[in-house]
Amino acid sequence: MKALSDVSVTFGKGETVAIVGENGAGKTTLVRHANGLLKPTTGSVLVDGVDTRETTTATLSRKVGIAFQNPDHQLFSESVESEVRFALRNFGFAEDLVSKRLEWALNFFGLEQYRKSSPLVLSGGEKKRLTLACILAWDPEVVVLDEPTVGQDSLQKEKLAQIFRMLRSTGKTIVIVSHDVEFLWPIQPRLVVMSGGRVVADGEMSKIMADRELLEGARVTQPQLLRLYSGLLSRPTVPFLDVHEARDWVGGRKAGQEAR
Amino acid sequence: MFRRVVSPFQKLDPRVRLLVAMVFFVFSLLASTIGAVVLVLTAILLVAAVAKSLRRIGRTVAFSGLFAVFIFAVNLLFGLGLVNAILYSFRFLAIISSTSVFFVTTSPDELEQIMKWMRVPRDVVFAFVTAIRFIPVVMLDAFQIMDAQKSRGLEFERGNILRRVRNMVPILIPLVVNSVIRSGELAEAMESRAYGSTPRPTSLYAMRMRWYDVAVAAGSLLLLCVVTLYIYHFVSFTV
Repeated sequence: MKALSDVSVTFGKGETVAIVGENGAGKTTLVRHANGLLKPTTGSVLVDGVDTRETTTATLSRKVGIAFQNPDHQLFSESVESEVRFALRNFGFAEDLVSKRLEWALNFFGLEQYRKSSPLVLSGGEKKRLTLACILAWDPEVVVLDEPTVGQDSLQKEKLAQIFRMLRSTGKTIVIVSHDVEFLWPIQPRLVVMSGGRVVADGEMSKIMADRELLEGARVTQPQLLRLYSGLLSRPTVPFLDVHEARDWVGGRKAGQEAR
Repeated sequence: MFRRVVSPFQKLDPRVRLLVAMVFFVFSLLASTIGAVVLVLTAILLVAAVAKSLRRIGRTVAFSGLFAVFIFAVNLLFGLGLVNAILYSFRFLAIISSTSVFFVTTSPDELEQIMKWMRVPRDVVFAFVTAIRFIPVVMLDAFQIMDAQKSRGLEFERGNILRRVRNMVPILIPLVVNSVIRSGELAEAMESRAYGSTPRPTSLYAMRMRWYDVAVAAGSLLLLCVVTLYIYHFVSFTV
């Protein structure tokens, strides 16, 4: 049974791409090819022109950092700082650079206060930030986030969104695998929709999300703001990206009607 | 690992399958020449073929091959002679195969019924069977943990033996922690579903001996008696 079939997709430098689809669509299987954890049985996967079959996962991981869905699958060290140092040492960073990258990662992700704590006693949101810190510490060119918002409360999601906005500003290539269309909608990434191991759509999120038939086939729901936008009798030319825009538009229309 | 397959062997009552496996186990111990052990091993593989589990038993035998080589080397080193070294390593393979025939063809549910029939305390039965059921789950966890650590530059194949052992620490710690957490959650889920509230709960499945079960059981016991008497009457079992 093939997990992926006839998949042809390119991620450009500095691009932000979201991969959505039903459970078992092949999203995680696809991104695991990016650092060589999985090798294609037919076709090829190229990372900066290098065929993933001709190099090791460790070498590819230097360029492609994958943050897995479950932080408990990677945390093992005595302290948060040794957890962050782990990959840096594996990649052969010099000690002074390890220290610099460690300081940066702990500060960037707000984990400085947990430096000496065991990673196993952190909360779910803190563990998630720690796994991101571990990966971004070695500054990969490509960052893959597998279901970053699963199990996170709204405050943690907001923190993730902030981290994400900062990441985007650094020009990294970001690939997000997610079911959380609400989280993705304000970001407006390039959207790749997968279903049954195939790519069924690839393009602008606002255009793809407007295609209800396609979304039903791929078992993807529309974001609430888009559903609100579609339901309005009169609406702006572009859909609302956040609640504030929607509130201002609807509030403005209502004020105009009342004035008349 | 157990997989449900339609085969004459899997149709047998699990107690009869256990009896057949035990008979092979005893034959493995009684066989005192290389020819005899090879005969026992061949018989086991024939039963595995009837059970449509030849490939899985073959994999178990292949995996045990390393230990068999170790046994061969140790026996040779301690001056027991080439013939005995071969005999003991083949005997080891026969013992492993005889027990594998049972475990590969018996589901955790059937294992539970057999242990209950043997009057093993319920909590021990549950703990044992649940541990077996979770082997594939823990294996999947292990693979996912290995992938996560490989993605952080950890290379398992590199370095000397000490380094490779040290490289297992980032795998073992998350695996053990996750397993302990999972067992705690399972215990809470079980208590929430009234486990332990009744001293003798009823069972969804019941074992029932049919005519072919009786025939195979009788045949196995008869063969065991005949072979044992033959060995003791004629001193050595030769082929």
